[in-house]
Amino acid sequence: MNTEKNKYMNPYVAGFFLGLLIIAAYYFAGEGLGSSGGYRDVAIGVINKVSSAYAQTNPYTAPHVADGHSPVNTWLVFELLGVIFGAILSAALYGRLKFVVGKAPHITNKKRLYLALLGGILWGIGTQLGRGCTSGLVLSGMSVNSLSGYIGLVAIFGFGFIFAFMFKKLWIKKN
Amino acid sequence: MEERLFQTARDIEGLYPHVHIWGFPIATYLFLGGLAAGILLFATLYYLKGKENDMPFTVKIAPIFTFWFVIIGLLLLVYDLHHPKYVFELFTTFRIESPMSWGAWTLSAVSILSLLWPLSYIDDIEAYLHERGWHQLDKITKFLRDLEHKWLIPHFIIMTFRKYRKFFAWILLFLSIILGIYTGILLSAFNAHPLWNNSILGPLFLTSAVSTGSAFVMWLSNNKRERKLMSSIDMALIATELFLIIHMIMGMQAGPEAYKQAAHLFLGGEFTVIFWVIFVGFGLLLPFILEALELKGKHIPPALPALLVLVGGFLFRLIMVAAGQMSEYPF
Repeated sequence: MNTEKNKYMNPYVAGFFLGLLIIAAYYFAGEGLGSSGGYRDVAIGVINKVSSAYAQTNPYTAPHVADGHSPVNTWLVFELLGVIFGAILSAALYGRLKFVVGKAPHITNKKRLYLALLGGILWGIGTQLGRGCTSGLVLSGMSVNSLSGYIGLVAIFGFGFIFAFMFKKLWIKKN
Repeated sequence: MEERLFQTARDIEGLYPHVHIWGFPIATYLFLGGLAAGILLFATLYYLKGKENDMPFTVKIAPIFTFWFVIIGLLLLVYDLHHPKYVFELFTTFRIESPMSWGAWTLSAVSILSLLWPLSYIDDIEAYLHERGWHQLDKITKFLRDLEHKWLIPHFIIMTFRKYRKFFAWILLFLSIILGIYTGILLSAFNAHPLWNNSILGPLFLTSAVSTGSAFVMWLSNNKRERKLMSSIDMALIATELFLIIHMIMGMQAGPEAYKQAAHLFLGGEFTVIFWVIFVGFGLLLPFILEALELKGKHIPPALPALLVLVGGFLFRLIMVAAGQMSEYPF
């Protein structure tokens, strides 16, 4: 049990390092950390590849393809690639690298994957309405003392508690 | 006959702003041909080293796939032709100075031998499948066994192959090296495209082909020793690939203007990110690190480094085919 526990870093220490990472990101790249923006850029890149004319006229995608360079050529996409690279390495080093579906034991893989897809879609819509996710809006926003970051923090974690309570059956077995 | 009027050479399809005649099918064919070459190289090499029972997957099972890889590759080649019905003309002659001629004949010979190689092991293959509880392919293996035992000509061919297997192994080993290296030499023979026109491309494609072959075996074999050996070989191949890539780009940088421009495609130009970040980063360095960690005793799912190497190998061919067509001599 102890060894399982030791596979992960102390969350407080990890949080401190995350803070240092944001400072480094601002210093070296001039931008904060984020993730949903990277997925958005990839999605716009695909739209642009399929129909460049549509991407240039659609008000949502147009600003991202206006300057001529590829919409995928952004800091967030590279950051995400680094995250994937680093995550695989970290999991490999600490013996956690395996193909599994992380879920509660009493629900099926299929159910978990369908619900994850649904959650992912809602997350995608929400992050674009809120102009960022937990990393882009809250972490990077709060690091520059932005009011939207604090509002995002309260909203995300507040509603997180409510929804966790509503959907707890998916994770905790009813006795 | 379709009559077409050209006012300028720019009206000719696929030539402006740069040549873009070869695409996905050719890159896929180069990948599948290389993969088949890599698998066959290991199969014949370890057979000749007397390891057919120690490495059953490498020698007996993996070659089953090679015939299909070669056939799919050939179909893609024919699909890409503007006049597919003239493809037979390649087989009416052999020109020693033409890589395409070498390729056409090598592919034909390899496709026949890669079919006979697993057929000559059909009893062992059936036993291997049964040992692992896979009975889904029983009908096919039974049909193939009947074909060998009940039909005179297939019986004669397979018996002859079995009797002279060592001789055919040497031939197939030689042909697999030719097949692996030819895919690179085919491109380097185009002297109008500086990126392709260098002598490193042949060895580079061969190294990449053998690396994808080792990754394929590493992925699907369930023999720990076999997987470990392939993993170590793949690490050496990845290191060689990196050395050849750097050497190729340094050679171009030291060459005339057209070659510098060709290298610029990867050094700030259009293919910089996909080449260095996706292919070199995720297709070479990451699997190398994962394989090194596995050798040090860490638990790594073999599918992960193998898939990274295979996807990287495919991407490498896509990039080289696309970038090579863009690299031209300035007018």
